[in-house]
Amino acid sequence: MNCTECKELLVAYVEGLLDDSQKQTVAEHLKDCPACQREADALTGLQERLVRNGKTVGQSDLENGVMNQIVREQNIRLKAAAKATEALKTRRTIMKSPMTKIAAAAAVFIIATVIFVNPFGSNVTFADVIKPLLNARTLIVDVIANMGPAVDEETDPVIHDVIVDQRIRRVVSTQEHIVNIFDTESAKMLTLHTEGNIAVYSDIQGQVQDMTQNYLVFLLDMITDIQNNPDFEAEKIGEKEIDGRKVVGFLARDLTIWADAETALPVRIEGQSERLSIVFKNFQFNIPVEELEPLVSMDVPDGYKLVEYRKEEFDMGTPTEQDLVESLRFWAEVLLDGNFPEVIGMTEFTKMLPQIEEGIGKLEVSDEEGAQKGMTLGKGMLFYMGLKDRHYVGNGAKVGEADKAIFWYLPDGSPTYRVIYGDLSVKDVAAENLPK
Amino acid sequence: MSENDKHYVERCLDGHPDDFRYLVRRYQAPLLANLAGKLGDKDRAEEAAQETLVRAYFNIGKLKKPGSFFSWLLGIADLVAKEQYRKEQLQRRRQIVRSFAEEAPRTELSQDYALETAIAELPEAYRKIILLRYYGGHSCNQIAEQLDMPLGTVTKTLSRAYAMLRDALEQQEQASSL
Repeated sequence: MNCTECKELLVAYVEGLLDDSQKQTVAEHLKDCPACQREADALTGLQERLVRNGKTVGQSDLENGVMNQIVREQNIRLKAAAKATEALKTRRTIMKSPMTKIAAAAAVFIIATVIFVNPFGSNVTFADVIKPLLNARTLIVDVIANMGPAVDEETDPVIHDVIVDQRIRRVVSTQEHIVNIFDTESAKMLTLHTEGNIAVYSDIQGQVQDMTQNYLVFLLDMITDIQNNPDFEAEKIGEKEIDGRKVVGFLARDLTIWADAETALPVRIEGQSERLSIVFKNFQFNIPVEELEPLVSMDVPDGYKLVEYRKEEFDMGTPTEQDLVESLRFWAEVLLDGNFPEVIGMTEFTKMLPQIEEGIGKLEVSDEEGAQKGMTLGKGMLFYMGLKDRHYVGNGAKVGEADKAIFWYLPDGSPTYRVIYGDLSVKDVAAENLPK
Repeated sequence: MSENDKHYVERCLDGHPDDFRYLVRRYQAPLLANLAGKLGDKDRAEEAAQETLVRAYFNIGKLKKPGSFFSWLLGIADLVAKEQYRKEQLQRRRQIVRSFAEEAPRTELSQDYALETAIAELPEAYRKIILLRYYGGHSCNQIAEQLDMPLGTVTKTLSRAYAMLRDALEQQEQASSL
């Protein structure tokens, strides 16, 4: 074996890859060749150095570090992905239909329902008149209400109701693309946004549920009573023509009822109370249930996307003082440039719906927050409507005027009034200390 | 060996992320050795190695040949090292501008930074075999199998790698004795 041959085999030799005879030959050459031996020594030296270094480096253990980091990053990525999906979903919802519209419209529905009960409910109790509801199982009616002394049928919002048994389908003229279907029995409401094809369920239990149930009873009582007993104890006030029909007028308590002279079915009912003027008109009776039932179905219609909210986020049932305070704040700060409204109430609220939607849109809040805001506004109005002893004096006041009372009310059973000031703080005040 | 890599890569892809740890165990040392020579500092090398492995995990779906996991890993490591180097240069420049601050003393990965630098400077084909042999604990036969080359090529490449390492180390010694 010469040196060239030896060098070629040297690595294999030190790696122990040679067979016995080759190994023998190389070993013999190395014994005789100092140059090759030096080469072999150098090689082994380098190898040892590499092995040593390999051992040192091998002491570092990255396994836990790497695996932990992977888990952490995985989580971050998952969260980011979930967020992105959520954001996409939210964006789709916003683009399809602002929830705020639904929320605000839902509030109007409830407000409109409650308002009819309060001024008349206690007066018109025909408790003994639980007549067969056969003739009143279905009813279609338009309702116009105004907080002032008279209804303006040209400009006031019209509420169109289709009533089938325990269910009411309602569309308000300021927002005809929103349909609310309310099941008074389960206190559930289905709100449909007909342009965005979005559906939302909400709960309306508690105080508001009772009021809405009364609404139906109130309407049915009123109508069935008149229908079945055309000359019941009411003052006949004359005859006239409405839409080409001969009608007879009766004055019964706070109500003026114009009924068809032949069928005794009401054609128009006008109500007047200290706080509210209201007109029911365009009545349609006795439309077969089967015909109207699809209109009041509580199922999500085909092609609609159900948007789910947590119950506590979409609960109309428990309006609070805080809701009213926040409503006033929103009304003044967002809609009226820092001024409190001249008057507040259902008619104003309903008329303001488009501006309210726009105002919420400007807030740069998430869709959910926007919906919450809409809810708060509605609930604020609900709270207001539910108060018996209430006084709004905010006309001319500006947000921040801490010494200026804008509203006060007497909570049930309370010895003192609650007063809301221009800075939207609320204090308990004795009757004698109320602003004049 | 390479079949094993393939097995674990596929396990990861099949939704068993925990199996990635076997690949970490197998390649962390070669990876560290590779990065040590490039980055010098123990902490930096470990940081870069960890980053390399994590990046590999999240990009494992892009690995076309699951059997060539290690070569692919080295590619990622080179990228990470480059990024880190650039980042450090930038930081150093800022530091110099700010306060002429002394550099913090480095903790070397091992006693033999000279060797690591020499390895880092080897062309990839040679570097890979040295890393697998001495840091990955592979025998020549295993390397031949993993890199899908005849044993003779492995020993020849190894032989050439030794020669280059010796040259590099001698040059370094000369330079430092000057």
